[in-house]
Amino acid sequence: MALRRTLVAYFFLLPALALLGVFTFYPVVFGTVLSLFEYDVISPPRYVGLAQFRALWTDRYFWIALDNSLKYLLVVPALQFCSIVLALWVRRPLRGIGWFRAAFYLPVVTSIVVVGLLWRWLLDESGLVNYVLLRAGLIHAPIHWLTNPDIALYAVMFVTLWKGLGYYMVIYLAGLEAIPAGYEEAAALDGAGPLARLWHVTIPLLRPSILLAGTLSAIAALRVFEEVYVMTGGGPVYSTYTMFYYMFDQAFGSLHLGYAAALGVVLAAVTVVLAVANFRLLRQGGLTYY
Amino acid sequence: MRRSLAAVAIALLVAGTAAGGPRAQLEFWTISLEPYFTGYVHQLIDQYQHAHPDVAIRWIDVQPQAVDQKLLASIAGGVSPDVVNLNTEGTLRLAEARALVDMDTAVPGGVRARYFPNIWESLRYGGRTYGIPWYVVPNVLAYNRGLFARAGLDPAHPPATTDAFVHAAEVIKQRTGVYGFMPNVDGVRMLALFQEEGLQVLAPDRRHALFAGPAYVALLRRYVDLYKHDMFPDDTLQRGYLGATERYAGGRLAMLTTGPQFLLRVKTDSPDVYRDTLVAPAPRGRGNVLDLPTMSLVVPLASRHRSEAVRFALYVTDDESQLAFDHQVVIFPSTRRAAADAFFSRGGATPEDRARAIAARELGVARDLTVVVPHSDELFRVFKEAVENAFYGRMTPEQALAWAAREWDARL
Repeated sequence: MALRRTLVAYFFLLPALALLGVFTFYPVVFGTVLSLFEYDVISPPRYVGLAQFRALWTDRYFWIALDNSLKYLLVVPALQFCSIVLALWVRRPLRGIGWFRAAFYLPVVTSIVVVGLLWRWLLDESGLVNYVLLRAGLIHAPIHWLTNPDIALYAVMFVTLWKGLGYYMVIYLAGLEAIPAGYEEAAALDGAGPLARLWHVTIPLLRPSILLAGTLSAIAALRVFEEVYVMTGGGPVYSTYTMFYYMFDQAFGSLHLGYAAALGVVLAAVTVVLAVANFRLLRQGGLTYY
Repeated sequence: MRRSLAAVAIALLVAGTAAGGPRAQLEFWTISLEPYFTGYVHQLIDQYQHAHPDVAIRWIDVQPQAVDQKLLASIAGGVSPDVVNLNTEGTLRLAEARALVDMDTAVPGGVRARYFPNIWESLRYGGRTYGIPWYVVPNVLAYNRGLFARAGLDPAHPPATTDAFVHAAEVIKQRTGVYGFMPNVDGVRMLALFQEEGLQVLAPDRRHALFAGPAYVALLRRYVDLYKHDMFPDDTLQRGYLGATERYAGGRLAMLTTGPQFLLRVKTDSPDVYRDTLVAPAPRGRGNVLDLPTMSLVVPLASRHRSEAVRFALYVTDDESQLAFDHQVVIFPSTRRAAADAFFSRGGATPEDRARAIAARELGVARDLTVVVPHSDELFRVFKEAVENAFYGRMTPEQALAWAAREWDARL
């Protein structure tokens, strides 16, 4: 009987496993193997061992890309903070709050290309953002959001934040709904104010959600590509040139698919290290906290 | 009953085989010809299929930004297209990767002689030619008559030299607040600017970059200074000619040096600006040479029908097909007989007609200025970074070009 139940379970898992096998596990294995080969699509692959990983150390564009990708991680805490605040805000039973929730979720389901083009126009030197800031007297000259190498990366990061806000808000809303009301009520009876309740009750109980959302957004930040491709093309002066963009450039611009795979392996290693650190840092929490 | 059904099935099968459906299925990729030239391409294909019933053509139009990636993905996936439209840079990059059919071998000498030799040779890498030139687009100067007048400039006397061009752009910006121009300084287009000013990029042995010299530095510094004084838009380095065309069509740019085919886009997007548009020869530098971007047709080695593909590419680029295309838009043929047609010297009232007559006269001083170097992706990446470093003040023009030249010399 138990064996039959197990088999039935695997039977239901099979379609998802097959898809994962074809579209995730196989590419992971193939990409890792490919990183040991020189391959340009046209000629047969040539085994080069770890030569491409060694070449990375002296490749200035690799370091530029890695540096930019690591800087991009700054979006993670900002995004989580804003999403939690937003979730706390839209959680309140106000009239028409459903519309607000939908509005915040709208960017999530909008194509990233559309979002990128939209923000490219908004952040243009003569775009709406500069117009509003100038009219409000907050700035005296237009800011070159996407063409100033010192600002461009942060401008693109802002767009990632804007687009991701609704997605993580939903995760936190689900996390907040799962917290039994009794904990906060007990704290209130003990005399805890709203901030103390938030800090000592809600946030610790929300930790599993923070772990999930933080890990997901860190992975997404390291894999950022579309926003950069549409808004800045990696420029100016390679200031928004991220690891994924460099992989794309190497694979499709230079036909160095093996080298691009080596970049992918390094990026995957960085991602795994980061995910493990995230788990170590945030695994305590949730209802087991008490 | 069963026996008769089987007989009918066999008869149908035999009839189908005897009819001999198309033998070669060719996939033909073009760049951005939809929707303006859909009718032309369909007619081209229909005529070819009619004359060659053993060939079926499947046409796919690809956006310029996506063509390289799609082509590589198709080759890697074993479903390579058979005839692909590429620009010179794309052709040479794939030629370097040994992905294309050698046209010096595939095309008979007599047929090769129909094409302009200088255009045929612009697709040459390592001594062999890897594409069949399709059409060329010499730049012309399109300018906004209203903005010229507002700036106190005479629309009847547009700038003829690059010096006058830059001066006019400064005057327009200072007097109207509208940008005068978006110079071609993005990416590696500065290399073409050098050549237009008579400055060669490589030494005769092609092993050394020459652009660290004082004349090159002075030219770069000139544009850097213009940028610092806000004489051209700050997205010039990112958006290139597409950004310039958009800005011009929006009435936010006074002058546009562009392929005349872009006038069609201005005509469609901004009829008001189009009505105010005048056309003149592209300003010339001291080198008295103009860049001549070339579109070619290549046949990937991965094509399953190479000889049929070459034959179709020759048909698309023959005199009649090219002339028919040239009647649709202001482009120029790569074959000598088609270019001699009286149609190209005939003027007219519209900006396109004038552009056609002007560009026809420019053909004599135009050639494709794409720099052919091995490891072009690496070298161009370095050059682009150096130029941007100079524009953003992270290096002086001297430092930037000296650094790029050192990097090039190490790889050449």
